[in-house]
Amino acid sequence: MILEAKHINKFFQEPETHQVLKDVSISISEGELVSVYGESGSGKSTLLYVLSTLDTDFQGDLKIQNQEIKQLPSAGLTSFRNKHIGFVYQFHYLLPEFNVLQNVMLPAMKLAQKSKEEIKKDAISLLGEVGMGAYTKRPSYQLSGGQQQRVAIARALINNPSLIIADEPTGNLDQKNSDLIFDLLKEITASKNKSVVIATHNSKIYSNSHRAIEMIDGFIRL
Amino acid sequence: MSKHVFNKTNLFIALQYLSARKKQSFLATIGVLIGVTTFIVMINFMTGVNDFLDDAVFNGSPDIIVSAQAKENATKKSFSIAINTIENTGKIDSVLRKNQNVQSFAHQVISPAILISDTRQFPGSINGVFAAQESKMVDLERRLVQGEGFQSLSKENNILLGISLANRLQVSTGDHINMILPNGKNIQLKVSGIFSFGITTIDNVRTYVSANVLQNLLGENDIVTNVHIKLKNRDDVSLKTDVITVIDGVSTEDWKDSNKTIVIGNKVRDILTWSVSFALLLVAGFGIYNILNITVIHKRKDIAVLKTIGYSSNDIIFIFLIQSIIIGIIGAILGGVLGYAISYLISTTPLDTSDFIIVDTYPINFKFSYYILGFWFGVLTTIFSGYFPSKKASKVDPVTIIRGI
Repeated sequence: MILEAKHINKFFQEPETHQVLKDVSISISEGELVSVYGESGSGKSTLLYVLSTLDTDFQGDLKIQNQEIKQLPSAGLTSFRNKHIGFVYQFHYLLPEFNVLQNVMLPAMKLAQKSKEEIKKDAISLLGEVGMGAYTKRPSYQLSGGQQQRVAIARALINNPSLIIADEPTGNLDQKNSDLIFDLLKEITASKNKSVVIATHNSKIYSNSHRAIEMIDGFIRL
Repeated sequence: MSKHVFNKTNLFIALQYLSARKKQSFLATIGVLIGVTTFIVMINFMTGVNDFLDDAVFNGSPDIIVSAQAKENATKKSFSIAINTIENTGKIDSVLRKNQNVQSFAHQVISPAILISDTRQFPGSINGVFAAQESKMVDLERRLVQGEGFQSLSKENNILLGISLANRLQVSTGDHINMILPNGKNIQLKVSGIFSFGITTIDNVRTYVSANVLQNLLGENDIVTNVHIKLKNRDDVSLKTDVITVIDGVSTEDWKDSNKTIVIGNKVRDILTWSVSFALLLVAGFGIYNILNITVIHKRKDIAVLKTIGYSSNDIIFIFLIQSIIIGIIGAILGGVLGYAISYLISTTPLDTSDFIIVDTYPINFKFSYYILGFWFGVLTTIFSGYFPSKKASKVDPVTIIRGI
């Protein structure tokens, strides 16, 4: 089991106390691609932030790779995330000051378990796998949305994490690019045996996942 | 797990940010540069003037002067202007020898006189000195413009003149002048040296002859009118009162009494230097604070991304703080270089002789410690002004940023 969440409850205090997640339990096994879908405000993004350890202000138990997340201190949490979780966002968020290769290398340079040369080799090979091998030296802001998202996927994979969290990864792309990105995500995670959690509105994505979870008003629809 | 924040990766990210905002980084550096340059130039110049005055005044005059009080009954002298002499010099000497703070002291015979050259005549106050003692008090060799110093007084009837007085008398070394004392006696003296302290008030009136010359002319062999004292620690003038309580019939004066305007002038220059430099660096600091603050606001998303891909709050603080420190270090080094260049230019600029000071060029103090001080002054300003924006950056919560889109 890669991820195990039990009885997750989450409240927003502002503007008034409001329960966003209601007794949510979910477990994800190795190599599984799981989509979470639901209307805006259903709590799917919030669930994603909790599962990705970005938001630790919740009640309940969360274990990733058998590590109890709540027991990690803040600094430990950051490096845990660095090592075990890769992120892909709707707005890809490449850093404009850095070129494509540097963007992919940054998480691994932080992890610092390999030499810069090895990291560079890994990054180039990953960029090749996502079809961006020809763009390594480009400033990231010169790429199209679909291209940036490919680079973001390469960045998410650079530290060889066991879990990939993707928040509306195709939400900002046209249908053609959207299909391409989802296929790429599916392919590459299957070949590397990664577990993937995707929050999405896109019916094509959740109907093509291994498992689709619908969120309604903070509950998981059973 | 958690490595030290000072590492190549964080430095690389910081440098990348700096070079992505070349114009702003450049302007911020210029801000620090101007602050440090001004500090260096001002402190070099102001302390240059202070040191020059201190050196000229305190080297040219003693720290404490002991002189005889006017006697009520001076009728035993045959001339109308009484010379007040110190009776018990032996006792004074023994007090001074015992005092730890006394560096050296010298006896003097001081008398008014009229100096007459071939063309001019001026009244003056003549210092009769004992060459061996006086050379420990005043470093006249360094001040000589022409001729010889105190050692020339031990030979014939020689006189040493301040440069302004020599100019007014229209004499140079080797010329002869006449000296007439109030008792009518006169003597011909040879000018053996001309000196300049650089201060008009000294160079206009100061003359040295051998004490024996004056003693002979006054007809009293062992008289002494003043004792001049040089202190090890000039700020401790307690000796001034010690002497009065032990010895009767003398009065004392210290350097603060005689040089009030210079002491105040030094203080004013110090205050000016520090306040102007501080104000400028404050402005530079605000500039850096602003630039970093705006960057942090613009870069909230990027900071959030850095946090999600594994960079901790301390990494973020370092990444932003090091940017301002780099600006500070570069600005401070360039400011030091420019400050030196400007100070050097000033030091070679000819200065019109004023009434008060006589120098060829502006006095500048190139002391190295001021450059170190200026460097730290600049760097600390940037650390201080960079800290708060960096702290703010580290507090960016990745969830709210990503959710906020």
